[in-house]
Formats: sequence, C-alpha cells, structure tokens
Amino acid sequence: MHIEIGARTDLGRVRKNNEDCYLIDSSLQLFVLSDGMGGEAHGEVASNLAVQTVLTHCRQGENSRVTPIFGESRPDVSERTNRLASAIHLANRKVFETAASNPEQRGMGATIVAAWIDAERLSLAHVGDSRAYLLRAGSMDQLTADHSLVAEKVRVGILTPQEADASELQSVLTRAVGTNGAVEVDTDEQALLVGDFILLCSDGLTRMVTDPEIASTLLTSATAQESADRLIDLANENGGVDNATVVILRVIEKSTGIFERFKIWKRYSG
Amino acid sequence: MSRLVLKFETEMLKEVPLGTRPVTIGRAPDNDIQIDNLAVSNYHARVYVEAGSLVVEDLNSLNGSFLNDIRVERAMLKDGDAILIGKHEILVDQLNDAAQPLDALRKAPVPRVNETMVLDTHERRMLLDAAVAAGERSQLSPERFRMPTLIVSRGNTDQKEYRIASKLTVIGKSKMATVRLRGWFTPEVAAQINKHEDGYYLGRGDRLPKINGVTINGLTKLNDGDVIDVGRVRLNFMYRD
Repeated sequence: MHIEIGARTDLGRVRKNNEDCYLIDSSLQLFVLSDGMGGEAHGEVASNLAVQTVLTHCRQGENSRVTPIFGESRPDVSERTNRLASAIHLANRKVFETAASNPEQRGMGATIVAAWIDAERLSLAHVGDSRAYLLRAGSMDQLTADHSLVAEKVRVGILTPQEADASELQSVLTRAVGTNGAVEVDTDEQALLVGDFILLCSDGLTRMVTDPEIASTLLTSATAQESADRLIDLANENGGVDNATVVILRVIEKSTGIFERFKIWKRYSG
Repeated sequence: MSRLVLKFETEMLKEVPLGTRPVTIGRAPDNDIQIDNLAVSNYHARVYVEAGSLVVEDLNSLNGSFLNDIRVERAMLKDGDAILIGKHEILVDQLNDAAQPLDALRKAPVPRVNETMVLDTHERRMLLDAAVAAGERSQLSPERFRMPTLIVSRGNTDQKEYRIASKLTVIGKSKMATVRLRGWFTPEVAAQINKHEDGYYLGRGDRLPKINGVTINGLTKLNDGDVIDVGRVRLNFMYRD
C-alpha cells in the first residue's frame, strides 16, 4: 500500500514546552506518537525515550528473528502486532528504570500510540489517552479506548459521556508508559482500503477540536500534510490549551493494481 | 466529635478520635494508627486540623496516599472521605455514619487536577469492584466461554463454517481473509469483524454490509444469531458452546 504522510506537533498557546513527540519510519511504515508527563521538562524525556525505544525495537525485530518478545505474545494477532506490543513493554521498562534511578524524574511517564502497516494490515498498539482514528467512506471511528479515569467510568457505567466531557479529571490516566514496572498494552488490527485515513493524535488536539471538525478537515484537504497543518491551526484557534500532535496517514493506492497487473502480463507475453 | 476509622477490606480494625493533636499513620509502632504492611512507609501520612478543617498530608511515603482515587500530598477532608494507604482504608467519620465507597467516588469534591496523573492498577481495580458491587453494569466481567462462529447460508466461499479466532477477521478475496470469497468483482476486503473487549464488531470494507437486513452505520456490535449480508454472501453469526 502506498501511504501519504502528514505530521505536525505544536506547543499550543498555554504551555511553556512541548512534551509531545512523534517519530516516523516511512520505509518500515511505522508511526509512533507520545505525550509525556512529569514536572519540569521530564515529560519530554519520557516521551522521547518511549518513541525511540519502540522504533529501535521494531527495527531490530525486522532484522533478526531472535529478538526477544517482551510482555505476552498473543495468538489472535499477527507477528507484527505482537512485536509492536513488545516494543511498548520495553519502552515502559526503560522509562520506569530511568525514572527510578533519577529522583527528580520520579513519576514521569508518557502515553503512546503506534501504527505499523504491512501490506493491507494495520497493526495498532497503545497505552494512555492518545488516540488512533480510522476515517473510511466519510465515517470516522475511534480505534483506541482511552485509558483515562473518566473513560473507564463511562465504560463501566458510572458516568455518561457528557459528564465525562465536563469532568475536571480528564487528565487522570489509568495506564501510562513508565509509571509502573509492568503495563497492559492494548492492540488492534484493521484491514486497510484505498481512500482510508488513519489519524494518530495526542489529547491536545481532541480537547480543542471536535470529531466532525477533524473528519471534515481530513476530507477537504489536498494533502495529508495540509490536513495536519490545518488541524493544529484549529486546535490553536480554539484555545491551544495543551501541546498538540497529529500524524495523518492516507492510503493512496495499492502497490499493484489491476492496471499494473495487466501491464506486467502484457510485458511477459511479448 | 470526629474520628478516623481504619478498615481493611470489609473489616473495621481500629478507631481513633480526632482531637487537637495530629494523628500519625505508618508502619512504625509509635504511630497513632499503625499499619503493619510492607506497602506502608514507617511514617506514611498524618491527619490534622488546620483553621477548622481536617487535612491529610502524605509524609513523602514511597507508595503514596490516595484520597478518593487521587494521589495527594496534602488535601482537605470531609465527612465520608476515604484515605487509601497501601491496602488499608482510613475513613473520615464526622457524623457517625461511614459513606459507601461508591458514593465517595461519585460525590466527593475533588482537588483541581491540571497536570496529568496516573492511577495504579490497585485503584483501578477498586474502582471497578465498587461499580460491580453496587450492581452497576460492568462490561469487563468475562462470560462463560462461547466460540464465535460464522455459518455460510448463501454465497461463494471457501468453507461452510468459520471460527472467529483472531482479533481481525477479513471477509473478501485478500490473502489475509479468513472468509475467502471468490469471483472476478469481489473486493480484497469486502467487510471485516473486529474483536473488542466487550464483543465482536462488524465494519465495512469495500462493501457496506447489512445486519438482519439493515445496512450498518459504522462499527456495529454483533449479537448471537445475527444475519450478515456482504454483497451476495449471507453469513449467520453465532456463539457456540
């Protein structure tokens, strides 16, 4: 699948530094985004370490079959998806151990959401409240479940979605990378179609811009980069209360379409 | 007069009246409330009266002190609040009736939280246990195991029956399809089924599928006995024991 990529991260209008981070490896088709937390600039340390670890571990996994798998290996998902989850388990250990050995960094952590594309299969893994969305045929679905206190309360039935949106506790997480010795990683897989949009974003975007605004921006922009820029501008226009980061993937065409196959056939039949 | 009640699970262990002197809590024996547990620091926290209000203060403990699920360093207390230290709860009783943990979760005035914080797994479990105990609908309780299955009643497929064993089940001509369809104009991915924590969801691919004759609108949860139509293929979704 050919993927068109757009990405942007921004400080926002209120914060003094940007603790969000993203990394893209376009040859591997691996995309990682992280939102750091912790006093001073420790959030930056956590999010940077988390995305670097994920990228390095996934690359190693591609180069060598004997790279170990961290955390549990699930039988109901592909090898790629297991490798992505393993990378997040490793990132968790690294951030946790770094925080443990530096008293000022104690309590630092990060969210993480990672997407890895292999032909038509999208592998997704995440911890925290940074999200992945799929926009297909004009309809947008959130692929990840937020690991936040308010979202858990909604899922269990204590709060309604409206009460959750109005809550003052929206930034309380139930899971994060680096705050505990072990973490539970959520995974998902999707089959991709030409025309699909995948959006990875930190809550700095979704707190400021509604889902319908996001969908219409994606559908009315000429390129993925243009939509990334427009979304960040929208977040800032609406207040820019937190750092905001977006990574947008647009599925453009398959590597061999029917016309390609016809051309190849023609070539071989002389 | 006010008092602090030490509880472990459902058992009341100790009661300490709150006077003018601060009440100390920790593992060391010279604390007013001694909790003999490795998760508790020697001098873990204290409760005192300041300008007419009750205040809890964490004494830089290793595992922290929690007020109604939120980790605190210092916070004001009101009647019915629960302070969690290790696995022990200390209830604040000012009127002689201790509030239910669920009420504490719902109604306690919470300190303003601007920075991101993380709860640990114990608190998360406590939150969910409280909800289940109070009879709330819990989507995380596992049901007895039933194998989700697709039975083909019409259409050109490679098998008559399919077990859904993966997180992602593709219906189409693609190599990664579980339900392999045949035909010149069949799309690679006609539709797909995703496994979520609370069940199986049908989503569109190149085709817009129907459930029980109704075209779906976004990812839709599948129920036992649903009839799925993807183009000319008809599948029955069923849970088999």
